[in-house]
Amino acid sequence: MNAVAVIGTGQTNHAKARPDVTQPELIREAVDAALVDAGLTADDIDAVVMSNMEMFEGRALPELWVAEGAYGTGKPVFKIATGGTSGTSACIAGFHQAGSGAFDTVLVVGFEKHSEGHTQTGMALVDPFWDRAVASGALGNFALSISQYMAERGVTEEHAAQVAVKARRNAANNPHAHLQMPDLTIDDVLKSRMLAEPLHLLDMCPQSDGAAAIVVASGDTARKRGPKAAWVHAAATRHDQPYLGDLDRRLITTRALRSAAASAYAQAGITDPLRDFDIAEIYEPASYAELAWYEALEFCDDGEARRLIDDGVTSMDGELPVNPSGGVLSTNPVGASGVIRVAEASLQLLGRAGDRQVAGAKTALATGYGVYAWSDVIVLRSEMP
Amino acid sequence: MADASRQRQRDVAVLGGAETEIVPEDLRSIPEMVLEAVAGALDDAAVQWEDVDAIVTASVDLFDGLTASSIAVTEVVGAVLKPETRIAADGMAAAIHAVHQIAAGAYGTVLVVAHGKASMAPHWDLTEWAMDPVYLQPLGVDFLTVAGLQANLIADSNRVGRCASLGDGACAVVLSSSVPSGAAVITGTGHDLDAHYPGDRDLSTWSGLQRAAGRAYEQAGVRDPATAFAVAEPSCMFPHEEGLFVEATAIGKNTPLSPSGGLMEGTAPIVSGLTRLLAAARAIEGNPGRRALAHGAWGPAGQGHAVAIVEAT
Repeated sequence: MNAVAVIGTGQTNHAKARPDVTQPELIREAVDAALVDAGLTADDIDAVVMSNMEMFEGRALPELWVAEGAYGTGKPVFKIATGGTSGTSACIAGFHQAGSGAFDTVLVVGFEKHSEGHTQTGMALVDPFWDRAVASGALGNFALSISQYMAERGVTEEHAAQVAVKARRNAANNPHAHLQMPDLTIDDVLKSRMLAEPLHLLDMCPQSDGAAAIVVASGDTARKRGPKAAWVHAAATRHDQPYLGDLDRRLITTRALRSAAASAYAQAGITDPLRDFDIAEIYEPASYAELAWYEALEFCDDGEARRLIDDGVTSMDGELPVNPSGGVLSTNPVGASGVIRVAEASLQLLGRAGDRQVAGAKTALATGYGVYAWSDVIVLRSEMP
Repeated sequence: MADASRQRQRDVAVLGGAETEIVPEDLRSIPEMVLEAVAGALDDAAVQWEDVDAIVTASVDLFDGLTASSIAVTEVVGAVLKPETRIAADGMAAAIHAVHQIAAGAYGTVLVVAHGKASMAPHWDLTEWAMDPVYLQPLGVDFLTVAGLQANLIADSNRVGRCASLGDGACAVVLSSSVPSGAAVITGTGHDLDAHYPGDRDLSTWSGLQRAAGRAYEQAGVRDPATAFAVAEPSCMFPHEEGLFVEATAIGKNTPLSPSGGLMEGTAPIVSGLTRLLAAARAIEGNPGRRALAHGAWGPAGQGHAVAIVEAT
């Protein structure tokens, strides 16, 4: 793929509800921050890619209304909607648009305002013939596959609780994060309300109001602007069969994520992910999912994820800090969450991650995940490809 | 915006395509209906499933009554363990994205699929949910009422009743970086989103289409649109829109519009623009040097526009 780079990022302060702003105003906050970060004005933007899951707000084609929040009026604009991967898929769409020669700079902006809708209702609108009655929503899906995963890979509730604690403690260093819990303990997680065996309340991501934006530049444009950029070295996306019974043991096999990772790693020359990456921002909607992703992303062999979390390999001072931002477990405006992963990975490479900065980060991983149906894997480096 | 040093986008071939017959109600499920279009497109393009590197689909969740409604078609568009990107806009916007993917060097051959079933719910009522919920939706404003405003402004208001009949349908088109001899190629694309509020727009013009067409003309090297095209295939849902289309694209009075029949006899939401691309490519195939203009639109009174220039080789 032709060279492109992320040259600016911006986010809102994410929260359970942002009644102080409308959807376009929420978007404007993130976009203004990204433009300032990139040193550009709205006039410099050639095209806009939006990302949102409109059923969560109970809307249709919301970009028609909210695109002006992204200065989209009179510009090429459309929206990507692919569940949890909407944000990463929109970033990849931005990479393709900026790499196509048609545009020099593309603004990607994802948003969700869960407080204005009913997320569970939105998630329940799956296939009406088979899955709607048994596999609606995130909780039921995860509870089923996590039980299998625990049995096969020797993962316990305590292992998962460590992930939940790591995320919320990391989030305390991120002023944008929704759930900042610097004093959270494993005991707190295990004692939190049981939602669906074995998932406790604090094992799950929240529903957040928030928006995030990145500015993508074509290779030539990024080079002309100077040395600081987060260069895209690989982007891979995979879709999988949707039906519950067709997906062989979901969290254990995670074949869409494994396939996307294999493709991205080959594109970027990643041979030993645990050593080659300096930081990872992965889309973990549940604590257990992060452990499964360690295996699917080849940070370790199958069955070894519990060792990684036990040994602190993925904590801020470990060999590969995973989700210094606090991840999806701390902040989840669905349409924005994938953009946040790419923005946070880029911030690390640009050296602008503040208290959550991993010193000297040069190679970063960002992933997106849409309830078993989609997986995206993106590799970024501070060096040009 | 335009950078003189910007590289010219590489040409992308329209290898083939197919569409289902538009009917008031297609009793098949969404995937069954889509499979007919996809299988037909692969056959027409003479490619196999394994030749397709990536898929771009177009659909709108609320119209389908499904969340992430492209999940319904994963298997029938051949997207299992392949890249699939889903655009929530007219199918022509999805085709333009596929062109960008190919031009960026990400994929060689991309299948574009659009589907819509107007029979599943009163379509115009659903479009009320795409209007701003603060000022417009509470007034009951939908796409039809904005189109009515526009028609009253520029045309005889009694023509408003003549709307394209909406039905169920699917369309699939195969695009590729490898250009067989004689194939139609896309040499320019442009898309645009205008202001949402009717009061913020000049409803007497399709200025968004003017911008979208301008971008496509620049890429394709079209200098005189009035003489450039053997045929134009607009997405006009109402008679008054033809005048808006001709004016915004500057194609003049002599360019034949919709010789294939156009949308008035029947079309499906989201599918229209992709069927226009297919019609435009078919109209010029085998006549080297001939150009056609294809157009898709979405939103109230053409808030969104997408244009592709197709040229026969």
